[in-house]
Amino acid sequence: MYFPTEEERKDLTRGLLPKSREMIVAEELRGWSWNTPPLEPIYDIKLALYEVANYYCPTARDLYMKRVMGINANPNPAMLFGRALHDLLAKLITEAKRAIYVEGVSRASEALEQMRRPDYSSLDNVSKHLTQEELEELKNRVAAVWRHQLNAIITQVDSALAKQPRIGVDSLVSLAIPVSVEQNLDGSFLGLSSHLSTDAYRFYETAILDIKFGEPKDFHRLTTAGYALAMESLYEYPINIGCVVYARFENGRLLVDKDYHLIDDELRQWFIEARDEKMRMVSEEIDPGMPDECYGDCPYIGHCSR
Amino acid sequence: MTDRPAAQGIELTVTDVKQYIYCPRVVYFTYCMALIRPTTTKMELGKQSHACEEGLQKRRTLVKYQLIKGERRFNLRLRSERLGLSGMLDMAIFTRREAIPVEFKMSTKGPSLNHKYQLAAYAMLLEDELFIRGKPRVICQGSLKPRRYVRRGFIHYIPTRRVHEIEITPNMREYVKRILTDIREMVASESIPEATRRKNRCRDCEFARFCADIT
Repeated sequence: MYFPTEEERKDLTRGLLPKSREMIVAEELRGWSWNTPPLEPIYDIKLALYEVANYYCPTARDLYMKRVMGINANPNPAMLFGRALHDLLAKLITEAKRAIYVEGVSRASEALEQMRRPDYSSLDNVSKHLTQEELEELKNRVAAVWRHQLNAIITQVDSALAKQPRIGVDSLVSLAIPVSVEQNLDGSFLGLSSHLSTDAYRFYETAILDIKFGEPKDFHRLTTAGYALAMESLYEYPINIGCVVYARFENGRLLVDKDYHLIDDELRQWFIEARDEKMRMVSEEIDPGMPDECYGDCPYIGHCSR
Repeated sequence: MTDRPAAQGIELTVTDVKQYIYCPRVVYFTYCMALIRPTTTKMELGKQSHACEEGLQKRRTLVKYQLIKGERRFNLRLRSERLGLSGMLDMAIFTRREAIPVEFKMSTKGPSLNHKYQLAAYAMLLEDELFIRGKPRVICQGSLKPRRYVRRGFIHYIPTRRVHEIEITPNMREYVKRILTDIREMVASESIPEATRRKNRCRDCEFARFCADIT
């Protein structure tokens, strides 16, 4: 899921990467300009990145309910599924790296082969909120994701081993698994939480990756834009590419689509406008009102009424 | 409450798009207050330098724009009924493949957002002028028949003589349309917007003395 396919690689090298190099992003919209408007936060509160980027409720009244009314609703099954699968992926990548470091280059492939049995520990935190049927479904999904991602890692490791005869263990890990999962970032320069963490960050084309286990939405790109701004504010180098990885399940099969995109001026402005709008709503305690249509899985459906 | 039908009928200019991004209050004062717009020294200087640059451009090759051959047209009046938008473009270059808008700027800094979306608005106008109701209207002379879509434009910074190429992306077009809607709603409802948070912009603003709450 985190590694590009051959077609994606071609699309990146011929399409998005040259474009990203030529793209001019206004200086004021780079994360390192956090101390001047429009990036400088207007209010003295901190929002989680998902709070800024989520527009499942078109008026963001779910955020109002949570931050202003102080209602903590129980997460819906889709959120629990997502949480478990996110944890699983982070765990798999970490465990695969650990196995290579512990066993060394010569036994790397063997160590990875021994990881074939899926790790179901990510279900521990969510299982008590799910029905038996939902839990079974989630177990199947965990197994599918585990198999898919582990196979990809094994292929990457074998390719690196076949190509580099004198490769060291650290180099093997960085070549074969060139992603950093759950990378923590301090978003406070931008009025965001000090404890943000990206799903994944890929080194070789400096792309921010975000995994979604649901239907594609246009606002999903706000997440990558937010992380890019936060990274720019911290490390002062440009991040121009984002990718939303969509994983869905159909007839027991895992299907993966990827939405590579440029983190351009428009996306950055959208993120900043969303941040300002939501900060104002929370800070000034402004009720944004109900949307014309509520989304089915809204956890506030029982609390938020006309 | 916004009067939507009235808002839709408001004719805007490309300068409004530029000004709105710079500071929305400039557009508010222009449309909602019965003021005589004062002229600043900066505006006068801008006009003079544009005229001077036009003379220079006529004698130069197109090498700065990485083009070998092309026809230049200056001060093109453009209007789009569809967008309810009009403006005067400093220069357009027509080649066999492209129509390219060029804006001259008296600034030493790189491309700013207001200049960028001004160029995008001109690109949209140029496209509409080239193909009105599906039929090409050749606004350039000679045998050149540019294609329908404008894919890029240039901002030419006069003091530094630097040229920046800007790709006109779908997102930019959408953003321009959104700004047009926002301006129309602001004008129709006559609601004064927040002034820009960049106070250095107020220094040279012709409306500075009308913004009593911030200056």
